[in-house]
Amino acid sequence: MNWRHIQLIYHREMRDQLRDRRTLFTIAVLPLLLYPLIGLLMMQVAQFNREYSVRIRIVGHENWPETLPLLDAQRKLVVSSTSTELSRLIEFSTEPWPSDANTIEELRQQASSAVQLDLVDAVLIVKPDFQQRMQNRLAAEQQVDSQSPSTSQSDSPLDASITGDKITGDKIAVNQLKQTPAPESASEGLELVANLARDHSQLAQRRLQRVLDAWLNSWVSSELASAGMSTNLIAPLMIAQTDTSPDSVRRAMLWSKVLPFVMLVWALTGAFYPAIDLCAGEKERGTLETLLSSPARRNEIVWGKLLTVATFSISSALLNLFSMHATAGLIVKQLALAGSSQAVDALGPLPIQALGWLVLLLLPMAAFFSALALAVAALARSTKEGQYYLMPLLLVTLPLVSLPMIPSLSLNLGTSLVPVSGAVFLVRSLIEGRYAEALMHLPVVVMVTVACCLLSIRWAIRQFESESVMFRESDRWSLQSWLHQLWRDRGMTASPAEAILCGLIILVAMFFAQFMAGSSIADWGSVVSMTVSVQVGLILTPCLLMAIFLTRSIRHALRIHHVQPSHLAAAICLGVTLHPTYTALGNAIRYVYSLGDQIQAALAHFSQLIYAQPLWAVLALLAVLPAVCEELTFRGFVFGGLVKQGGALRAILITSLFFGFTHTILQQSIAACIMGLMLGVIAWRTGGVICCICVHVINNVLSIGLAWMPANHYDLPPSLSWCLRVEADAWVYQPQWQTISVGIALVMVALLFLRSPATQRVVQVEAL
Amino acid sequence: MVEVDQLTKSYPDLLAGQFVALDHVSFSVQPGQIFGLLGPNGAGKTTALRILSTVLQPTSGIARVNGFDVTTHPYEVRHSIGFVSSNTAIYDRMTAWEMVEYFGKLYGIPNDRLTERMEKVFADLQMNEIRDVAGARMSTGMRQKVSIARAIVHDPPVLIFDEASLGLDVMVARALLDIISGLRANGKCIIFSTHIMREVERLCDRVAILYRGRILASGSLPELEDQFGEADFEELFFKLLNESDRVRIEDAHSAPTLSAAIAGSSAITAGSGI
Repeated sequence: MNWRHIQLIYHREMRDQLRDRRTLFTIAVLPLLLYPLIGLLMMQVAQFNREYSVRIRIVGHENWPETLPLLDAQRKLVVSSTSTELSRLIEFSTEPWPSDANTIEELRQQASSAVQLDLVDAVLIVKPDFQQRMQNRLAAEQQVDSQSPSTSQSDSPLDASITGDKITGDKIAVNQLKQTPAPESASEGLELVANLARDHSQLAQRRLQRVLDAWLNSWVSSELASAGMSTNLIAPLMIAQTDTSPDSVRRAMLWSKVLPFVMLVWALTGAFYPAIDLCAGEKERGTLETLLSSPARRNEIVWGKLLTVATFSISSALLNLFSMHATAGLIVKQLALAGSSQAVDALGPLPIQALGWLVLLLLPMAAFFSALALAVAALARSTKEGQYYLMPLLLVTLPLVSLPMIPSLSLNLGTSLVPVSGAVFLVRSLIEGRYAEALMHLPVVVMVTVACCLLSIRWAIRQFESESVMFRESDRWSLQSWLHQLWRDRGMTASPAEAILCGLIILVAMFFAQFMAGSSIADWGSVVSMTVSVQVGLILTPCLLMAIFLTRSIRHALRIHHVQPSHLAAAICLGVTLHPTYTALGNAIRYVYSLGDQIQAALAHFSQLIYAQPLWAVLALLAVLPAVCEELTFRGFVFGGLVKQGGALRAILITSLFFGFTHTILQQSIAACIMGLMLGVIAWRTGGVICCICVHVINNVLSIGLAWMPANHYDLPPSLSWCLRVEADAWVYQPQWQTISVGIALVMVALLFLRSPATQRVVQVEAL
Repeated sequence: MVEVDQLTKSYPDLLAGQFVALDHVSFSVQPGQIFGLLGPNGAGKTTALRILSTVLQPTSGIARVNGFDVTTHPYEVRHSIGFVSSNTAIYDRMTAWEMVEYFGKLYGIPNDRLTERMEKVFADLQMNEIRDVAGARMSTGMRQKVSIARAIVHDPPVLIFDEASLGLDVMVARALLDIISGLRANGKCIIFSTHIMREVERLCDRVAILYRGRILASGSLPELEDQFGEADFEELFFKLLNESDRVRIEDAHSAPTLSAAIAGSSAITAGSGI
């Protein structure tokens, strides 16, 4: 690779892009304008909330207790404990209680129409019995003293708390109690009519609630005072707080969730448009062939363009990041001036080292996104076509970027393996100061990220080296001719793409089937129907259909070949000797990822159903059928498609991944995946699917049989005591057999590496 | 200087299965010669020239440019050629000077020699007025000059023009032909593909007629006219094409004639002393 060439290409592309006014606008001007505008909008909303004066009409103010009226003669709030601010922000109007005997329903109607017509924001109806009810509180209070708390059935939660027997929560503040939702509150005598779909009405409701709470506080204080008790009685409990998180971390919390997401989305879009211009745009304008016939090699061209796209991706992300951060800082200052300290806490400026971590996250992610964008853009023949490809790319990367925002997820082994998401989790941990946790997962995240970058760059180079991609002629593609070509050019086995498509179809079908499966399994009949429909219908049928229509020989496609005797014997032996290891593996997995209670209960119920049936039925349905269907599909059709052109490794890995994913319970999936790897090796060495079926069937038979026998009260036959023993009503393996079986299994696997000439021929043909 | 031997190119096509773009094509070109590749659209001219410029890989056969094999030494091949095609355009936002300079640097010319060389090229091609004009604002003729300038800035021994006169008006096309003649006078080895008969007659020392991926005839114009007894070159061209079509239709009915036809056509090409 000639660095001079890469440098030349990079400089030319950068200069070219910077001369394009549209690029400059999107990358530089847009972020600098966008966030201040959004900030302005947010400030306006906050302003509205602060300044808007709600209109509340009170119907029946004369029904209010005279001892402490709500409003004075000028219709201003009397209650002293409300801030003057609040009284300024509510405009009261009053209406006397109607003299003619309207029903409450009519009053409500009138109030509703007034609110709907926007004459007022809310209406408070004070019923004539309100005064009495407040008096009743006093009376009830005295009553409760002589009653035991458990039998008191008063409406007002107020009573219970005063005795001190039903203290709930930290604060005994009166307003706290009033918030317990009581269906009887409607009978308190107050009714609020508001249109909660409108901001103004909601605001009115909130402010009125605060006013009423303050009024109640005052009323209780005055009553206590007149009863000779200290008002300290109802003072809220003050708790001294100690926050274990440092100031900076607390402030970083909200940002650490939102900023990585925003930054990465901008990194992706900032990568995409330059990539389209550099690839599809060049094809359209005809300058690509000029470059391809120059001394610059393909990989040098790709690197030059990649660096350009990455530069724009990073610049876009950084400009947006800083603009957003600066705007937020300014807004926070404004809010702080207006006196709301909560906002300052939550949205304070991010500490410098947090910004540093974010930039560190940005660099590899930008590289990854740039390579992806470049590879996808290379496929397009025109800029319009390139823009169509943006959507699938977004659909793939957005879930990965937004996964870390889910509250229940955190950095652990599972999440650190996910591309992009793992890196975001890691950086979040760093920002929040959890360095030990971050360090622990650093190697995995770095490995995954580097692997993704390298793979995507390799893909981009591959696109540029492919003649069909670089020189695609006009679109003569039509569905009919494509189907015709598929039929005409079908091979003996599936192609790699068809194999993967089969796997994906099965996964999607199983995903949807899960939802349509309905509730728990009721009886044996439903077990049978469910197993058969999943195995035959969802797993085997797509495989068979694809084998029939896309290959010339179903037998070859499903890899049903002649087996050499030594392999068959080794397989049968392996089925038996691998089982102890398999059970140990299952136990280990369940230890690390314990089954939830719900799943355990469902499994127990399922087991009970099975054990009640005769052994042959259970084995046929749950041991043999799944084994055959799954092996024919995964180690047959899918493996056969992927093993072409020396792809044995990818065939083993991908088939075991698919195989794992078709099991719905996580613990089973992991065990299945690992077993799938071993089965894949067997499939590869023996060149066929028969041995895999043997191993799988024997494995299942043993799993089910060893559980069924003790459940049906069979005694362990003495002849088997060298390998099995009884422990807590279950048959488990003797430790010595567990160890010896591993050794024997390894010998059997070694046997598989010896192929007869016939098997060798089959394998060679397959690998073509 | 350019040797092509049994060059074949085929690729999978949706409708046709396997499409053979070039079928065992052979020719050679010496320095100081203009070799014309004449054929209708879809004959395979662009494919052959793209293989020579290493942009495409041949399926089989050998192509050597300036002694370097296109499959094993593509880098050296690209250094030895200047490639101008109807598909090679210039950058919209680069000026003429910047464009030629960019490619000059890619060709590895050291800076001082590059400036010298560029001055000479711009003078020879009379491009000095458009030095600082951006590509988007140039006329077709100017763009053509810039393309040629960037193709000859590194003084390559071999020049390939793939339908370079496509879409040009009479004046500009004439100017192009003059430039190419000038380059021949400098001892360059030039391959020139076109479907316009006049250009072939005016310019080419030797010509090969390419049709459906096969060379139907090749040699100098007098030689071909003698061989096929046709004084008018255009008539000769269409006669060959029709003959080829007729043979092809006959082959569709009876297989054995195919080998005879191939033997026959290869006898023709062998006999003309490539």
